[in-house]
Amino acid sequence: MQHLDHDRLVFLALGETEADNGESTHLDNCAHCRVELQALRQVAGLGVETQGLADLPDPPEHIWQGIVAEVRAAEAVPSLTEARRQQATEPVTIVQRSNGSAAKPHTPGASGAESGGRSRARRRGGWSRWAASTVAAVAAAAIGVVGTVSVLRPDDPEPAPTPAVLASAPLAAFGSTPKAAQGDARILQNGQLHLHVANLPRVPGYYEVWLINPTTMQMFSVGTLGGDADALLPLPPNVDLKSYSVVDVSAEQYDNKPAHSGDSLLRGTLTG
Amino acid sequence: MTAPRQEPDPPVDDLAPRFCAGDEAALREAYDRYGRAVLHLATSMLANRSDAEDVTQATFVAAWLGRGTFDPAKGSLIGWLLGIGRRKVIDRMRASARETRVVETVRQLAEPAPTGPDPDRVVDRLVIADELARLPDDQRRMLELAFYDDLTHQQIATVTGVPLGTVKSHIRRGMASLKRRWEVDGAAPGPRPAGLSGAR
Repeated sequence: MQHLDHDRLVFLALGETEADNGESTHLDNCAHCRVELQALRQVAGLGVETQGLADLPDPPEHIWQGIVAEVRAAEAVPSLTEARRQQATEPVTIVQRSNGSAAKPHTPGASGAESGGRSRARRRGGWSRWAASTVAAVAAAAIGVVGTVSVLRPDDPEPAPTPAVLASAPLAAFGSTPKAAQGDARILQNGQLHLHVANLPRVPGYYEVWLINPTTMQMFSVGTLGGDADALLPLPPNVDLKSYSVVDVSAEQYDNKPAHSGDSLLRGTLTG
Repeated sequence: MTAPRQEPDPPVDDLAPRFCAGDEAALREAYDRYGRAVLHLATSMLANRSDAEDVTQATFVAAWLGRGTFDPAKGSLIGWLLGIGRRKVIDRMRASARETRVVETVRQLAEPAPTGPDPDRVVDRLVIADELARLPDDQRRMLELAFYDDLTHQQIATVTGVPLGTVKSHIRRGMASLKRRWEVDGAAPGPRPAGLSGAR
């Protein structure tokens, strides 16, 4: 069978002419030409939509600075890939190590993620005792997310997650907070919450940091923020970040009321 | 196509191998070249500008730290970056959806839901735009007249003073390059099944 001339297919794809009867008959019967025409039509449609894309505005410089800062932080610790390699050769299990310590994550419904975290946590043999006994929940939360993505896209070429940061959340101005207020929360491998904030509005009292479980709306306080742009706050060793996935910065008063004031300034959701 | 005229080879581009090898200058260069496209993808999909900037930042950080998994033989650096960006955008949209539920519970205030086009389409568009920019000038110029000004081959020949046969050959070659690139680097590579036009 003689295929349609490629120039004709391009003409048809660009919509310059309609297929004549003979061509229509051929296209009905020839999958090769039909697929080719279909692809060329898609490309032509995309081509039309590229107008203006050659002159996109430059991204702001602070994005670049953020990239450099994160890369520096991440390169200061061994990569997760290296850690996984160790895992293959280290028979120590987290289960034994965590026996007797108070650190078992007790999250109903999270058993799947927990066991994933446990098996992966073997590689943490070289970490501090704290890490060995307690980071399982954190790891489970972070790796649970990664695992989901891998299942959805089996050929996912996405690189291994950054080692220093198990999960992170951009914090955006919440409610009536001026939009300039923003920040970043990162769960570090050493079990600390690194908080970076900018342009927080002045408040008469103080800032308090919370982790919130969006399903149950249960929350607990992680600590207070001083005047610095950056703060490192220790997390409870057995915290289940899969459940307490929302980071919240609130404005609080010295009012003898330890509960959340309801006045959230920044908020963001942790992802792995 | 018999005896195609040899197009001049594009200048040798060693950015991808340098990036893979961990040359820090290559990270900056990749950002200078492709940061715009990644940010465009993110801003197209995410209502919140600071979310979009954050996704752009996270994309380059993840790409750099995971550069060992990038295989230049399987696609271009920009295609790979956009693939990472696309997944981060989707993660962020899911996270905002969860957050919106929190917001509604706590404050009875709804945040604007993320809106935007199909991320695959935005990625494909950026890939095609990148390839268009790499085409030899003649091919690009004529395709732009066809795409943006909706001119026919004949009209392009008239406007440019280039013989119709040459116009045809430029457009045919340009389209072939765009298609090849799209099949390699598009968000859902490979020719789409017939009859699904615009359904993606």
